[in-house]
Amino acid sequence: MKRRWFSTLALALAVSLVITACGGGAGGGGGSQSQSSGSPSPSASGGSGGGSSGGSYQIAIVPKLVGIPYFNASEVGAKQAGQDLGVEVIYTGPTEPDAAQQVNVIEDLISRGVDAIAVAPNDPAALTPVLRKAKDAGILVLDWDTPAEADVVELSVHQIDDKVFAEHLVDEMVKGMGDSGEYAILTGGLSASNLNTWIDLGQEYIQSKYPNLKLVTDRIPTDEKQQLAYQKTLDLLRAYPNLKGILAYSTPAPLGAAQAVQERGLQDAITVVGTALPTDSGPFLEDGSLDVAVLWDPAQLGYLTIYLAKHLLDGNKVENGMEVPNVGKIEVKPDGKTVIMGPPTDFLKDNYKDYNF
Amino acid sequence: MKLWQYLRLSAYETTLLAVFAGLFLLFSLTAPNFLSAANFRSMMVQLPELGLISLGMMAVVLTAGIDLSITFTAALSGIALAWCLSHGWPIPAAMLAGLVTALLCGAFNGVFIAGMRISPIVMTLGTMILYEGIALQFTKGGSISGFPEAYSVIGSGSVAGIPVPMLIFTGAILLTAILLNRTAWGRSVYMIGSNPTAAEFSGIRVRSVLMGVYLFSALMAALAAVIMTSRYNSAKVDYGSSYLLKSVATIVLGGVSIQGGAGTVKGVVLGAAIFQILSSALNLYGLSPHLVDVLTGTVLIFVLAVNLLNQKWKRAPRTRVPPPPEATEAKVPASR
Repeated sequence: MKRRWFSTLALALAVSLVITACGGGAGGGGGSQSQSSGSPSPSASGGSGGGSSGGSYQIAIVPKLVGIPYFNASEVGAKQAGQDLGVEVIYTGPTEPDAAQQVNVIEDLISRGVDAIAVAPNDPAALTPVLRKAKDAGILVLDWDTPAEADVVELSVHQIDDKVFAEHLVDEMVKGMGDSGEYAILTGGLSASNLNTWIDLGQEYIQSKYPNLKLVTDRIPTDEKQQLAYQKTLDLLRAYPNLKGILAYSTPAPLGAAQAVQERGLQDAITVVGTALPTDSGPFLEDGSLDVAVLWDPAQLGYLTIYLAKHLLDGNKVENGMEVPNVGKIEVKPDGKTVIMGPPTDFLKDNYKDYNF
Repeated sequence: MKLWQYLRLSAYETTLLAVFAGLFLLFSLTAPNFLSAANFRSMMVQLPELGLISLGMMAVVLTAGIDLSITFTAALSGIALAWCLSHGWPIPAAMLAGLVTALLCGAFNGVFIAGMRISPIVMTLGTMILYEGIALQFTKGGSISGFPEAYSVIGSGSVAGIPVPMLIFTGAILLTAILLNRTAWGRSVYMIGSNPTAAEFSGIRVRSVLMGVYLFSALMAALAAVIMTSRYNSAKVDYGSSYLLKSVATIVLGGVSIQGGAGTVKGVVLGAAIFQILSSALNLYGLSPHLVDVLTGTVLIFVLAVNLLNQKWKRAPRTRVPPPPEATEAKVPASR
């Protein structure tokens, strides 16, 4: 009996120790993250959400998923903006791309009483109730990367114009393979709404402008995994020997496709165009197994999001053609709340080394 | 007297309670806004989905099985519910449709596992993929939304300050506790998990008990689906998919033996509560979400390790059936 109590106590102690230790460690290592978790932070003493007593804003930026290169790059940009502008940036999100987990993270941010929440929704509809709750608590709500439902956000930060982007990808593929022949589509997941938007817009564009292009099979899901994209591409190459082009959506898919093309030595026969990060694409751009990667700079997107959140918290308005440091001129759509960061960026053999994400 | 017996905690549950209390105290002192009413409400809204799925998973694991299809059963049930709602069905009818869908999923598992003795892990792995496929085919990967305003009350409303999801979860806890501890079916579940052969020879109708277990887990999935569709105002294939392995972790933390036969509702509820305060508090600190996973894993392994040491110290053989006074009565079940 005595021993049981002893061990229980030891356990409770040990767990507490681990947690405080980790808390302190993360606070110190996380750069511009919160100061330390050892003592209650000054802005938290108020209790309910709303005003920040410390003078600096707490802005939370929630990605679809933490720990993938794309969102890691956006975290760097967001933290940089936090440093430049003197606001506290909280970067947190689900560890799996599940809307349920994302909603719970936002619930906790509301309890924490942050000043603004910028979210890249895994599913727009799923976030509407919780974002409305945030709004009712007096928190400024924005979306970034992927739009939420329009009436729950004050501002919607888009990296590119979807239509321009979708058509640009198709044009790049046609540049490589010509305007007739067989092509296939790889996608990160069948339920990813931004990928579906680009694919749908691209398909419409192909039907009206390049009617001689032939899609060999339905869009192929690759679960946001390079390995799976690689296997599926090998299958594709075997099944459709006349394939001339591959459009790969989501950042890992083009890499997997290029890897397969590289392995089979089909660099010249097959044009691979996709949405990938430049450093990952480097080895494949070098030998032409990946012809071009089209994307934007996620770090800039993170920076812009924090910048605009602070801009609104300060009581300012966003205007078309407004100059944002480190980002450039931004476009604001006539509705006054849709912001477009700029045109897409092409990462090619010659320029991919200029980027560090 | 009876009630007091009911609330008595085993050694392991005492450990869990101590861990819970320790963490609670620590977070109250250090996590910003942890003690606020808003945070408590928020935690009570977050907890029930994982809690319900864990209860369903628990019943299956007690029989030495596992239900890998439980989250996609919930997804499919939610999608059926959402489809009905968005096509103008009245709310109770739509909920019934969701329930029926879930029970069909559960019955399908049950028929093969109980009837044809297919290993549960293999069967539910198959149905996990199958149900996901059906849901994907039906929705084309998109989400279904457009519910009547009144439906959102389930996810966002509260009665006497307690959020509706928590009330549903409380009801489910009571139901599970009564079914497992106060019915012949419940005792048979433990018996089958401890020793299926002995259970068979002592006259338990293993097939129908097992069928009941998979139907029960489907029922819990259906309840979780109701909460999820209301909270997220939509239904989609992958809502709640992250709860699958978390529910297994929750019940293991709650003291359910993965080999079956042992485990209590109290333990599972405590396990779910520990995970909830842990993840909420770590979010309140603003820690990296990866650290949240690291700490969740650490707590799980710690508690299990201490439990093992405890048992070694006591040098008592592990009792597989918990020491219920009614265990002996249950050996002569009504199912004869």
